[in-house]
Amino acid sequence: MGKIKALVIDDSKIMRSAVKRTLNQLMLADFEYVDAKDGEDALNKFNDEIDIMFVDWNMPNMTGVEFAKAVRDKGYEKIPIIMVTAEKSMGKVDKALTEGGANEYITKPFTADKMHKAISEYFDEEGNIASEDDEEEKSFFKSILNS
Amino acid sequence: MTFDNLIELDRIPVEIVSKVKESVINTIGSMIGAEVEYVDETNGDGPLNGIIGNITVFNSEHTLSLMLAIPKEAAIHFSKVFIGMELPFESDDMGDLIGEISNILAGDVAANVEKVGFRGQSSLPTATRGSDLTLFMPNKPPTEKMKFTSDNIEFWLTMVLSESK
Repeated sequence: MGKIKALVIDDSKIMRSAVKRTLNQLMLADFEYVDAKDGEDALNKFNDEIDIMFVDWNMPNMTGVEFAKAVRDKGYEKIPIIMVTAEKSMGKVDKALTEGGANEYITKPFTADKMHKAISEYFDEEGNIASEDDEEEKSFFKSILNS
Repeated sequence: MTFDNLIELDRIPVEIVSKVKESVINTIGSMIGAEVEYVDETNGDGPLNGIIGNITVFNSEHTLSLMLAIPKEAAIHFSKVFIGMELPFESDDMGDLIGEISNILAGDVAANVEKVGFRGQSSLPTATRGSDLTLFMPNKPPTEKMKFTSDNIEFWLTMVLSESK
């Protein structure tokens, strides 16, 4: 199982713990975590070694959407950004996905099942982040199986 | 529904009260994994020994303040079911937990009251811990207090509608 470096961004220490505990329960990968308490802190801790990010929306100093946009603007277009937030209105979901460039949107409170449904597609069977090549390969094999 | 003359009202519109009540039942119930029931009872509660989670859903004209009053025993119960361990009541983590519960509730309330025409965003939460806590509403704005029970615990939500300043 590969080692996956996950940046967990939330101004609540309790919620960062809840996200990490849930990810550990899922056993999708061997996670190593980096904590950040808001978008600014996360930008300081972000580097090329980060494989996936779990981002709260409503935080002081820099919101999750502003952080996600900043990461995309730096040219990191493929790293999965998962918004984990209490914001539930459809307008907010659209904003996170389009303006912020997030890949997925999970609303709090979340269960392990809900988290699994949202993020399992980003991991391959060896516990690595699935690359776009892997996805293309899977689609190819699926199309053969379905034909 | 129009909210043009909202501040002239002496009560919070029933549509908003109903949506907030629905959010409390669904959100807290989902968080603690148990059924939450509204109790139609306005008397009988005294000063609080516990934590109050404060948060608002606001727009440029109106502010809907939500104050979640959680007795000490209920707060400890919430920590057990929400994060899987009993947090010390006096710890910073307990304040963090109640703030987060308020934040999650406000997110649901914002989405729910939007359905009846109140579009707003939620503020950052705060939490106040203490004994003999009593909520006072200066200038007597439209206020609604609701009691809820679940799993032998009880808690209250007070909501206040005021003008954004």
